[in-house]
Amino acid sequence: MTTDPMAEIRTSFFAECDELLESLQDALNLMDEGEHDSETINVVFRAVHSIKGGAGAFGLDALVSFAHQYETVMDEVRSGRLVPDASAIKLFFRAADMLQDIVRTTRDEQHPPPGIEDMLALLKALLHEDAQELDEPVAFTPLGLSLEFDLGAPAIDVAPAEIDDDFGWTITFTPNAGLYASGNEALLILRSLSNLGHCVIRCLVPEDLPPPDESNAETPLLSWRIILEEDVPESDIRQVFDFVNDVCQLQISPRKVIDDLAPTRPERISPTAEAALPPVGSTSAKKPAGDDACPISSAASKVSLVPHPRPARPVDTNAHEPATMVRVDMEKIDRLVNLIGELVINQAMLAQSVETAGMSQQSDIMAGLESFMTLTRDIKESVMTIRAQPVKSLFQRMARIVREASASVEKEVRLKSVGEYTEVDKTVIERLADPLTQMIRNAVDHGLERPDVRRAASKPPEGQITLSASHRAGRVLIEIEDDGAGIDRPKVRDIAIQKRLIAPDASLTDAEIDQLLFLPGFSTATEVSALSGRGVGMDVVKAAITSLGGRITTTSVPGQGTKFSISLPLTLAVLDGMVVQAAGQTLVVPLSAIIETAKLEEQNIHRLSASGMMMRFRQELVPLFDLGQKLGFRDMRDIAAAGIVLLTVQEDGRRAALIVDAIMEQRQVVIKGLGQTCGHIPGVAAATILGDGQIALILDPGDLVWGGASSPHFDTKAG
Amino acid sequence: MSIRDQLQILVVDDMSTSRGLIVQALEAIGIKHIHLASTGEEAIGLLARQPAHLVLSDYNMPGMDGIQLLGHLRANPRTRGVGFILITGKADRQIVESGKSFGMNNFLKKPFDVQDLRSCLEAVVGRL
Repeated sequence: MTTDPMAEIRTSFFAECDELLESLQDALNLMDEGEHDSETINVVFRAVHSIKGGAGAFGLDALVSFAHQYETVMDEVRSGRLVPDASAIKLFFRAADMLQDIVRTTRDEQHPPPGIEDMLALLKALLHEDAQELDEPVAFTPLGLSLEFDLGAPAIDVAPAEIDDDFGWTITFTPNAGLYASGNEALLILRSLSNLGHCVIRCLVPEDLPPPDESNAETPLLSWRIILEEDVPESDIRQVFDFVNDVCQLQISPRKVIDDLAPTRPERISPTAEAALPPVGSTSAKKPAGDDACPISSAASKVSLVPHPRPARPVDTNAHEPATMVRVDMEKIDRLVNLIGELVINQAMLAQSVETAGMSQQSDIMAGLESFMTLTRDIKESVMTIRAQPVKSLFQRMARIVREASASVEKEVRLKSVGEYTEVDKTVIERLADPLTQMIRNAVDHGLERPDVRRAASKPPEGQITLSASHRAGRVLIEIEDDGAGIDRPKVRDIAIQKRLIAPDASLTDAEIDQLLFLPGFSTATEVSALSGRGVGMDVVKAAITSLGGRITTTSVPGQGTKFSISLPLTLAVLDGMVVQAAGQTLVVPLSAIIETAKLEEQNIHRLSASGMMMRFRQELVPLFDLGQKLGFRDMRDIAAAGIVLLTVQEDGRRAALIVDAIMEQRQVVIKGLGQTCGHIPGVAAATILGDGQIALILDPGDLVWGGASSPHFDTKAG
Repeated sequence: MSIRDQLQILVVDDMSTSRGLIVQALEAIGIKHIHLASTGEEAIGLLARQPAHLVLSDYNMPGMDGIQLLGHLRANPRTRGVGFILITGKADRQIVESGKSFGMNNFLKKPFDVQDLRSCLEAVVGRL
């Protein structure tokens, strides 16, 4: 842990840079969508300016000089002397990318990235000849202050009413049921209100806001508190609400600055949340009023954005962190996660000992243990949410990949992000970056057609890639969809035959052909392009996703596009598993891989050879394996005597049946890595510690049966 | 007790890095009472409850900028007399002029070191 305060501030500066760069991207996106109001431009300016300011304090010259030029250009835009066209905005994006690179190389104390000079020249070219800023010395005589050390009475007796620093109005606007139904739109009302003067608008979001959908579109759920910083007659304000007077609740009162700082929360606030609020007046913990306030224009433009999966914190175009947040070293959180894992194991062990001791179910100890277990689960879930982060930063990186990739193949591509506030475990986000980058590159390179081809197919010349994230059934779903030509299945089939991945006369369904893309060695030399042909094929992407406990599937419609769907577990630390026994070993099979369990009956077994067996499951024949034998714990034996089979499924739909001796229980287990020393053990994903202190292996049935690389599935169908 | 021990200073900056750096420098000078706000709006609220001798404010902030904050403070009888030092990235003539018109006590150009800050403060409150 570092004790040097400067080093700490430096670390926090780079963390702050990431936030500023994020808000820079957001604001540039708004500009790209045609938003040219001063606040949006100001956000861009301020982000660059703040990075420059901080960098200056640490003497980071490369960063200062680049940010300075960028800032100068944005100052011109801000003052209206430079009106950016589409190509200028493109350049701003690239400059933002470059700025991000310089921040990164500076942080890591590496050489600055190449191309800085070129970018500086391009930025400079945007400026008018006479736009050179004048940083001349300004004459100023400091004004002395006569100090009085009796600063008057402390805060407590300053009643809000005594503060006479009021001008403007505080307006509370709460739509009634009829407002939206009668065709009125809150956004338009807020817009016209902002025509009266500068407005600070806060949206009051109820704690239990349901996810937006068609059925509740006309139900008013939100209300607003507006601070109009302008002394206009009250009648002017009333006029704005003329048409909605009977369908809303409206409160207009002269503004008191003190009101601006009052917590703006819906009334249905839980008592615990109330108690957690910091005491008024504590400087460092007070939530700044400006934090969840955003000016009308950006509030307005955000409304058109995709729905949040949850009532996230109010939209905030400002990059500074709310004072109520605390930055915590990731290491500390990981340690906490590990400890919670130990706690879960410990608790399970304790439960087991209590049971062994023959304690009565009615005893106080059992009751105590039960609430202890509930608490443990709650703590575990809370800790897991600390590790969760919105996928936004990942999606922004992808936006950059799209910009760079589309420029290098001369295609016009727009990236649409949906659900960027969906929260996913931080490690999952980090490990998704590479596979996602590859898939985005593929979509630009192979998925989307050239503009002339698109025109010929009466599509807009600009291709679209949609990147979306959502929570579904306890997992995270990430989808990459393009509106390109779709998978060229005859071509894929030809390549697979050439590469001897399938027999020439194999008859494959469309879905099976699509699966060929994920086979190792599918990506061919003739397919190599500067962009996606970097030797990283979809097999590597799939392996990366699988190692995260995820699944990847694809759907494609010729002429309309291709969609890859990645389904991931919410966390990497715990897993729902089925504890089974085979050959005297206790093993854990991930519940997500099991679709059914059944009794094994002799008449359903089809023996193919000495070792090969199939089993009839309803109408389908699936390969049958003895788990104990497959893992090398025992030889082949009379399997008909054994009882139970697990029907497991792969993400591509392939199935296999595994014979186990007994099913012990279904439970959550803490995942423990096997460490580097073991290397990859076929069929084994990780390990865990069970309630009795026993170590059990967590299996990867797909890897166990098909062993990753070879694909008997297609071979059996061939010929 | 010296001035340093008694001076109450409110630092206003939206960037936590900048706040950290300013606090660092103020502590190096020996200032004991330092308060923090991350927006002009928050600063006004704080000053209403906890008066200070001197406000050290960044110019470029979301919402209310440094000059607007100064205007607000001067317009309110309770805070009219507070000392005000503006910290700017760029000593723009226009900014300094408007600061002057509101009775800004001094300004400090970024980047600055402890000595710069000390001289800037001493020009306003006397020897520290």
